[in-house]
Amino acid sequence: MESIPLTWEEVARVYGRKIYNFAYRLTGNPDDAHDLVQEVLLRVRRGLANYQPGSFEGWLWRITRNAFLDEVRRQKRRPTAPLPDEVDRWDRASSDSVDVEYARISLGDDIQKALLDLPIDFREAVVLCDIVGLSYEEIALAVAVPIGTVRSRIHRGRKMLKELLS
Amino acid sequence: MSHPSELISAYLDGELHDSESSQLVDHLAGCGRCSAELGEMQRVRSAVRSLPVLELPVGIVPEADPVVVPLRRHKGMWAGVAAAVVAAVIAIAAIVTPEPGSLTIEEMNSRFGARASLDPAFGPAKVVVPPLVGE
Repeated sequence: MESIPLTWEEVARVYGRKIYNFAYRLTGNPDDAHDLVQEVLLRVRRGLANYQPGSFEGWLWRITRNAFLDEVRRQKRRPTAPLPDEVDRWDRASSDSVDVEYARISLGDDIQKALLDLPIDFREAVVLCDIVGLSYEEIALAVAVPIGTVRSRIHRGRKMLKELLS
Repeated sequence: MSHPSELISAYLDGELHDSESSQLVDHLAGCGRCSAELGEMQRVRSAVRSLPVLELPVGIVPEADPVVVPLRRHKGMWAGVAAAVVAAVIAIAAIVTPEPGSLTIEEMNSRFGARASLDPAFGPAKVVVPPLVGE
């Protein structure tokens, strides 16, 4: 039987770090990751009252990736703030603070930059698999696509990463 | 023979059914191209998984609900404290003022009343009053 956190504070305590790592690897930016975690926790707080027993992780990661996609769409509507994977690497470096750039360099940066160069669907699938550690079935549930699509996205994402890293 | 490329990542992730897994292993035994791809995917997968796990920054979790202060229960006490503070302020002012006669009541109210209104002890409007039980 699945153990379901009772309060959003418990969700924050148990899953906060995972959500932050997911958010950071998708956005490549601690400030955006910070904002995304807070948005996810607020949505969890609002949604727990109506939560129907089922796959809690599927529910949580669906909320998380929806919050991320909402932010991507919001930034798309803002012409002065392009998507992270559309920003030129050097523009991005020059617009960030020294601390942020230092963090980026010190955290396996080639891999992080390659992740940001993946199309969002592939990046999301790879991060949910390799960073968060979800099974293909859980990813399919969170992303609302067939499991065959998850399999394909992860493999194609890794092949693109291989090209970007070589 | 076609190359079952997309099975390779699922194989590494332990996400293939037994029959698919056997099929891929048989294929890999005789296919240098897919064997090479298996090695490449293994390296990429390990690289992504080797990214450091980041700790959740302090203060990232939104604040919990503010604590509800049971004002009613302590109302008498706060009123007493308020009166005592005002009395003490006036008494001290009377002692330290060089010419007591030069300070009018209006001036004292203006000077010390404003200070009293800024004192947190005088801020009951900021405190939530819980519903009374048994009344």
